[in-house]
Amino acid sequence: MRHLLIVLLCLLSPALLAHDGMRMEMPKNGPELGASAAFDSHGRLWLVNAADGHVRLRHSDDDGRTLSAPVEVNATAERIYAEGENRPKIAFGPHDEIYVSWSQPRAAPWTGFVRFARSLDRGEHFGDPLTVHHDRAEITHRFDALAVDGHGRIVIAWIDKRDVIAATAAGKPYLGAAIYYSWSDDGGASFVPERKLIDQSCECCRIALARTPDGEVAAFFRSIHGDNIRDHAYAVLRTDGQASQVARATFSDWQIAGCPHHGPGLAIGRDGIRHAVWYEAKDQPTIWYGQLDPGHAPEHPLAIAGSGASHADVAVHERTVWVAWNQVGADGYALMLRRSADDGAHFGAPREIARSSGAVGSPQLLLKQGRAFVAWNTATGFRLIEVPR
Amino acid sequence: MKRLLLAFALWLPTLACAGTLQPLAAADVPVLLQPPAHGMRILALWSLDCAYCEPNLEALAALQRADPREIELVTVTTDSIQLRTAIEARLHSMKMDVYPARAYAEASPERINFLLDPNWGGETPRVLVIRADGSRRGISGALTPAQLHKLRP
Repeated sequence: MRHLLIVLLCLLSPALLAHDGMRMEMPKNGPELGASAAFDSHGRLWLVNAADGHVRLRHSDDDGRTLSAPVEVNATAERIYAEGENRPKIAFGPHDEIYVSWSQPRAAPWTGFVRFARSLDRGEHFGDPLTVHHDRAEITHRFDALAVDGHGRIVIAWIDKRDVIAATAAGKPYLGAAIYYSWSDDGGASFVPERKLIDQSCECCRIALARTPDGEVAAFFRSIHGDNIRDHAYAVLRTDGQASQVARATFSDWQIAGCPHHGPGLAIGRDGIRHAVWYEAKDQPTIWYGQLDPGHAPEHPLAIAGSGASHADVAVHERTVWVAWNQVGADGYALMLRRSADDGAHFGAPREIARSSGAVGSPQLLLKQGRAFVAWNTATGFRLIEVPR
Repeated sequence: MKRLLLAFALWLPTLACAGTLQPLAAADVPVLLQPPAHGMRILALWSLDCAYCEPNLEALAALQRADPREIELVTVTTDSIQLRTAIEARLHSMKMDVYPARAYAEASPERINFLLDPNWGGETPRVLVIRADGSRRGISGALTPAQLHKLRP
């Protein structure tokens, strides 16, 4: 009898331990779908995603038809956010430097560190990753966004919870989280101490970055206005010591005490027009296009897509504007596209340009010599789809 | 010793039912959306990355405990079932592991989101109330006390 009881206890213990064990396991059936792609100045396509604790870099010289063997960006395995609104990022320096950033989950829920690594030999090797922020508290520093400005500075912005934690400890109300950013003046060898862009911003939506015609980096992100009105704000991220000016830029008035998990997109033309896409569900789920006029409602607003549409991206080349998004239905996912030939004043009808029966990541519009492509990571593999002219 | 063993044996199935996270595939959705025989079924949609979800789940659990005969509460996380250990740990820490629990069986959530409720864009928390008369109502965001009050049978 005693033996039987011991056997039963042994059978039971794994079930009990499971509750106290690691909370952070990664999916076991292949890599997550969070990936980023970009063309370098030579027209080579580069792709980063995460697998087995490594950000891995691959490239393609035939527009995505074949991919190189992967290079591990971080030699030592670590945990990497690569699903939903998180994905490793890639950008290039003025002399073909390759910069990669990602968010690293920490032990507790809703925590992370923003990580960065660079290659100075066109992706052959990467230096040891560094943690971008000087704050080392085990809290959220996540949802990194990466861009390079016109002077070659590397700019990284992220969502940061240090202020909400401080406010909560002091018994003060605080909605959402802050956005912080930092930059590197030395090609990614180090980052300056981070500074706060704004308090009380959305804590779960990706930040969009784009370069202005002046070479500065601008951010467009879901912020919180009043009582959980989750509209968007725009700011140029100043790297000259001056304070960045943040202005509300969308006025949908969607109120939600929750996580939209749905960040915006931004592309700025040479003419300075700020083409933006964003999601709101005040009445029903809608992807909007508009041209930002910070402080005022966007110009040329257009409901691009409705129910089942998600994770739009936008790109501009001269007077052509493209918007791509995922459209889900009962039988799978369609990659949809709308195109404007008059700088966003009017858009053509939605077109399906690809389809996947399995899960998909967020689409990403890429430009190469005036041609538009959509990078689409699907459960059956990475795809680069050239947009029909 | 025999009594102890008997009590232990009786307790085991309870543990298995309460703590077993089941996958939710696209094909399973119609069953979940079927109206209950009486009262209402509340699908409490949440995600690991949603800090608003925990108090919302607690509020829904309190609502269910107040009227367990008329309210069936099912938690559904939009995270992949591949994150089983993390999901089960969170359900346990939230004391929500006494309710039937589902997790998405797909790597990205949009398709099952759409099948559950085409007017839902995936924001969490989300509550889907299915009543015995076949009516459905979806509410996004943490429920206010007034919204919770209205949910009562």
